[in-house]
Amino acid sequence: MSKGVKERTKAKQVVREQLARERRRTVTLWTTVGVIAVLVIAGLVGWGVAAGQAKDTAGKLTVPPSAVDDGTAFARGSGPVTVDIYEDFICPGCRQVETTTGPTITGLVQAGKVTVRYHPIAILDRYSTTQYSTRAASASAAAADGGKFLEFHDALFAQQPPEGGAGLDDAKLIEIGRSVGLTDEAFADAVNGKKYKAWATKVTDTASARGVVSTPTVFVAGKPLERPTPDALTAAVEAAGA
Amino acid sequence: MRIPTPWISTVARLGLAAVWLVAGGLKVGDLAASGRAVNAYQLFDYETAKVVGAVQPFLEIALGLLLLAGLAVRLCAGISAALLLIFIAGIVSAWARGLRIDCGCFSTGGELGVGVDPAYGWDIARDAGFLLLAGVLLWRPRTRFSIDGILLEDER
Repeated sequence: MSKGVKERTKAKQVVREQLARERRRTVTLWTTVGVIAVLVIAGLVGWGVAAGQAKDTAGKLTVPPSAVDDGTAFARGSGPVTVDIYEDFICPGCRQVETTTGPTITGLVQAGKVTVRYHPIAILDRYSTTQYSTRAASASAAAADGGKFLEFHDALFAQQPPEGGAGLDDAKLIEIGRSVGLTDEAFADAVNGKKYKAWATKVTDTASARGVVSTPTVFVAGKPLERPTPDALTAAVEAAGA
Repeated sequence: MRIPTPWISTVARLGLAAVWLVAGGLKVGDLAASGRAVNAYQLFDYETAKVVGAVQPFLEIALGLLLLAGLAVRLCAGISAALLLIFIAGIVSAWARGLRIDCGCFSTGGELGVGVDPAYGWDIARDAGFLLLAGVLLWRPRTRFSIDGILLEDER
């Protein structure tokens, strides 16, 4: 092979490599642009879907007439110290507090010392296969319409289903309602028609905005009570009332 | 026997794709809960946490699909690594502040019930494992069965 041919072959190869490099750069550039566009669009879709869901909830919202605190809670008693209780009907810790501290709460209400505001929130929907938390919270609002919130609330905790199962179905919720005196059609219709489903979502959302990240969460006069034992609750109420 | 690097990278790519698809898929069904899980870290105000919680599952799924397709693998691996580092930082900060939360990594986590202990150590170890997958891809992004391979006319 002559020297000239050799050089020409080499030159051709250099050009070929250059073209390949350029091509690679173009492909990298456009795939980068594509990937970033896909991720931005995905993010915007997420934002849009969430905004749509929020709008949907707002559109369907019915606030129970007896609800207090911006329509997010049910009050019991009329004492000077406000006790806010955030509970999820499937939360075993809430049931425990109801059992241990419940009588103390009743005592404080009867002594005219506190106004208890029950906030039935639904943060544990993933612990049942049927969104029991949301359904139970919604049903409790319907019970409030019938003037039996507390009775229904107590009955739900007494018959609390275990976490991880199907919860109690709507028929069972209606049956429990009947057992505490909610015998009219309005209660059954509200449960079956999911009348307060959006309301349960709103109550949960409001609680989250207030920094409630777990249940049970108890505030005495706006201050969180770390462990709501009977003694701690009584002490906090005394301190707030003084 | 030596396994050629493209095959190791291919396994890493598909593994990381599965991680994102599962992580995003488990959260996408309940965006409100996803927002609450972010809120539980107490790093953002609630409005911001809601947006982060809504955007995140979709980003994760998109990233998973891109990795599955093998498009711009090195870039996707870099973004994955950045996200994982942010998640690890979030868990470390929750741990350091003594918060008792479920990391929400593969669920719409958030709060933990009474008597349930957070598994921060495991969560971090797991995320570090995923980070390793991303690292492999950052180092050797060439993989089999990828769009990158087709576009670059990989003869190998």
